[in-house]
Amino acid sequence: MPQVQQDQTSSAAAAQEAEFLARLRASDEAAFESLVESYHGTMLAVARNYVKTRDVAEEVVQEAWVGVLKGLDRFEGRSSLKTWVLRILVNTALTRGGREARSVPFSSLAPAGEDEPAVEPERFRPPGEAFAGHWNAYPGNWSSLPEEGLLGRETLDVVKAAIEMLPDAQRSVITMRDIAGCSAEEVCETLELSEGNQRVLLHRARSHVRAALERHLDD
Amino acid sequence: MTESHDHVTCQEVVELVTDYFQGALGPDEADLFEQHINFCEGCNWYVDQMRTTVAAVGRVREEDVPPEMRDRLLAAFRDWKERK
Amino acid sequence: MIAYKFLRADGTSPFTGFRWELPSGAPGPWVDAQIEPCRSGIHALRLSDLPLWAGKTLWEIELDGDVVEQRSKLVASRGRLVRRIDAWENEVRDAYTRMCADRGHELAESVSPPLENWAAVIEPSVREGPALLGFVAARIAEEISGPETYHAERARQTAWLAERLGLEL
Repeated sequence: MPQVQQDQTSSAAAAQEAEFLARLRASDEAAFESLVESYHGTMLAVARNYVKTRDVAEEVVQEAWVGVLKGLDRFEGRSSLKTWVLRILVNTALTRGGREARSVPFSSLAPAGEDEPAVEPERFRPPGEAFAGHWNAYPGNWSSLPEEGLLGRETLDVVKAAIEMLPDAQRSVITMRDIAGCSAEEVCETLELSEGNQRVLLHRARSHVRAALERHLDD
Repeated sequence: MTESHDHVTCQEVVELVTDYFQGALGPDEADLFEQHINFCEGCNWYVDQMRTTVAAVGRVREEDVPPEMRDRLLAAFRDWKERK
Repeated sequence: MIAYKFLRADGTSPFTGFRWELPSGAPGPWVDAQIEPCRSGIHALRLSDLPLWAGKTLWEIELDGDVVEQRSKLVASRGRLVRRIDAWENEVRDAYTRMCADRGHELAESVSPPLENWAAVIEPSVREGPALLGFVAARIAEEISGPETYHAERARQTAWLAERLGLEL
């Protein structure tokens, strides 16, 4: 049973979704299993945006699937299946969480770079100096590194650990965008973000992961 | 942006790179970005680092469903199937 | 219309990596593109844009179809490389770099007190080539006399290139 591909063109993805929907409604267990597997990482990342612990997040994901099954007959297809499932997930997280759940904390969303620069300011020439804002010393040239280093197990572990350490909102966005291959629109709709906010979060998340990779590769 | 609208600094470039990848920079801003990475080796390497980072993140496999969860979900599915 | 284009030594675009079929004798084949601001289209340069984009190899490119003028480049829906500007090779590139470096020193020393911190960047930058030195010289000019002189310095660079490369201004 092929996994639902996350990186297909939208028309191919839509066709595949329609097929899965039909099979779900026909009580095809294998289709359900495949869908659950395919969405799991994304749903977990989104849930962790709203609830404290991973265990609670897993419970939320589970409850969301029950909600999906209950609402399946009423799904009209106005949004994509994935977006609809993720909406149920978000609502489940908010409902279930009570005091635990919180909306995505965007009240302190300063413009990119102000309070969370992609690179520490000390690495650039200070304001008022000649060529202020330019690198003091260039960052590394990774294209000169052996490929095995960049593609290996260790690098992947560093990346995973870095993602795990991200603030929840950043982790959700980078997981949905760069791991699950969701579009910017899907992320904005699911997490109720503006396009601008989504980009800021993605930018910060990627910058953190780059920094972690840099520390690892510079060793 | 710096006071001058005719060039960007390295410090600005590292904040613009995500928008650049997404095609979210306006035409003039994208030009300044590209002119800069054309002459600035350091920023060229930085942008390459970000590309490599995105590619590395893309290789993180989606999480597997824990077996107990799969069992519970299948049970829920069969239950739902029964009641239909 | 005739315009210019810098490519890497291997004939690929430095930003998109697009591989152009290089002309030898006759112009290369036409390449078509949808114009989408910042996303796609054939990028090409007017003479005045050359210093901003200095690269490894320089080509004459013929543009056709829709041509949009932006602040520092042209975007076209159709283009083909016509010929390489052979004059833009190592010796001339180095001469241009040196010219910009000398201008940087001249400008930095033209004020009292001299701009030593700005001048200090010049020689270490020379190994990085014409694009960087063009920027450094223009930037020093701007530091002394404001944004207009950034462009004035770029215009000087264009005039030098046009003359040395035998291109019509």
